[in-house]
Amino acid sequence: MTRVLLISGPPGCGKTSWILNQLQAHRGPCGYLRLEGFTAAELQQAPDGGIDRAFLVDQCPGLLDLAEPGENPASRPQDLLALIELPQWQAPPEAGLAGIDPRLLPPLEALQLLPQRHLSFGRDAELPAQDTLQFNALEAWSLDLTHSVWDPPSLNSFWFELVNGAYGEVYRAKALMNLPDGRSFFFNWIVSQEGTQFLPLERVAPPVGRPQRMSRLVVQGKHLDAAGIEATIADGLLSDAVLELQQAPQRPFGAPLPATR
Amino acid sequence: MAHAVISCLHANLAATEAVLSDIEQLGIDRITCLGDLVGYGPQPNEVVELIRARQIPSCQGCWDEDIIEGLNSCECSYPSQLAERRGQRAHHWTAAQLSEENKAFLASLPLSLRRDRLLFVHGSPNSQHEYLLPDMNAFAALERVEAAQADTLFCGHTHRPYVRELREGVIKLRLHRAVANPGPDIEREVDLPVRRIVNAGSVGEPRHGGTSATYVIHHEQDDSVEIREVPYDVERTCQAIVAAGLPPLFAWRLRHGFEYAERADDASHVCER
Repeated sequence: MTRVLLISGPPGCGKTSWILNQLQAHRGPCGYLRLEGFTAAELQQAPDGGIDRAFLVDQCPGLLDLAEPGENPASRPQDLLALIELPQWQAPPEAGLAGIDPRLLPPLEALQLLPQRHLSFGRDAELPAQDTLQFNALEAWSLDLTHSVWDPPSLNSFWFELVNGAYGEVYRAKALMNLPDGRSFFFNWIVSQEGTQFLPLERVAPPVGRPQRMSRLVVQGKHLDAAGIEATIADGLLSDAVLELQQAPQRPFGAPLPATR
Repeated sequence: MAHAVISCLHANLAATEAVLSDIEQLGIDRITCLGDLVGYGPQPNEVVELIRARQIPSCQGCWDEDIIEGLNSCECSYPSQLAERRGQRAHHWTAAQLSEENKAFLASLPLSLRRDRLLFVHGSPNSQHEYLLPDMNAFAALERVEAAQADTLFCGHTHRPYVRELREGVIKLRLHRAVANPGPDIEREVDLPVRRIVNAGSVGEPRHGGTSATYVIHHEQDDSVEIREVPYDVERTCQAIVAAGLPPLFAWRLRHGFEYAERADDASHVCER
């Protein structure tokens, strides 16, 4: 029987990390769905753009994408664990299923994913609470970096500046970033913690041109300097020529050259 | 008698004025400058003219050289592509701002200054671009001082003030005879007296964990060295950076006690271009 859990909470509280732990602990098939959430007054939802899903799919190969248009509810495995992630600013007014925002029910019903349990960070004691912060106002900004590859020391400097306030008051930042050697890193930072979590993805792309997988930066905070962030990113990304210069020594002799875009 | 050694002013007028005022209040009238009068900061002409007006003997720093020669250092001086792009922006801005007269002054600066057994350089006796970091290999550090025939080497460039004494230096030589010239090996051992490297830190772009300008005072009477930290109006320089159209990030970094751009890590690299 499919078990469906809805996990909600504010930005950076640890929803994705908690979900990853559940997925890795489950012995049977797993599925994942991320809902966009609702923007409240002065509180913008971050356009995640698939960062969490891409990270979870990398960490849990075989993870079923429950938002996939072709996904057929009838063909789901019997013992599927389906976890639904929902960014939500305030703790729900009531515990359990009664606390689910009614606006969510029609789309979930259409996907045949009505939750059997609802756990919310900041409300349910079985979830960790140390990073469950209350926000009054929050801007969100994101940038698609697909096909982009960083100069690694530049990425290091940019991230340091970003989370230390050089581009506005940043409370939350996460990203998937590509490096020239084919590795990609999941960056995860919240103002309440001292350091950034840098997690390498399991899958390493071959060092042949620009990787095809998704890459994205999402920032939440106040008075964000989007132009400043973009200018620094432009200075830190590698050109085709420099990328090839760095990748060529990593390829076996005689390997095919990257296709010209 | 005491003399002050200042370095790496980096076109930061507020910091330079504060340091010169501090030196004046201490009653010291002999000052030596180790270069990098310009670069990154917003007042290159004002700082150069202040040094010229005060007739402070100066040697040429890496930025002073680059402004005259046109980005003479190679890209490996920069720790990242981001730092290189920012550095080049600052270079082009500074080159456009500096008067021809001030450029001519920078071009006239010597690579080193010597007073008896005291040697004054920007980076190292080898190059304005070489970093003598405090944890540099002791033999290499000793070689820099000894080869320059100095007892004390005053340098800057790293932006971190320090005094390093090199004691018990010994050089052992063994000359092995070739087969065609038989004879016993020749051995020599040279005991070196104490040598010292004094880094003056930076007036305009400090990197010691705070925002205060740093310089050093050498007390000739007892040969002691004092590192001075001087608070200055950092906000005045930050506002000038933004007003000048330089990258606002330079102001943010200076305000937090970081370098305008990232620091170079390779202490051993010497640009050969």
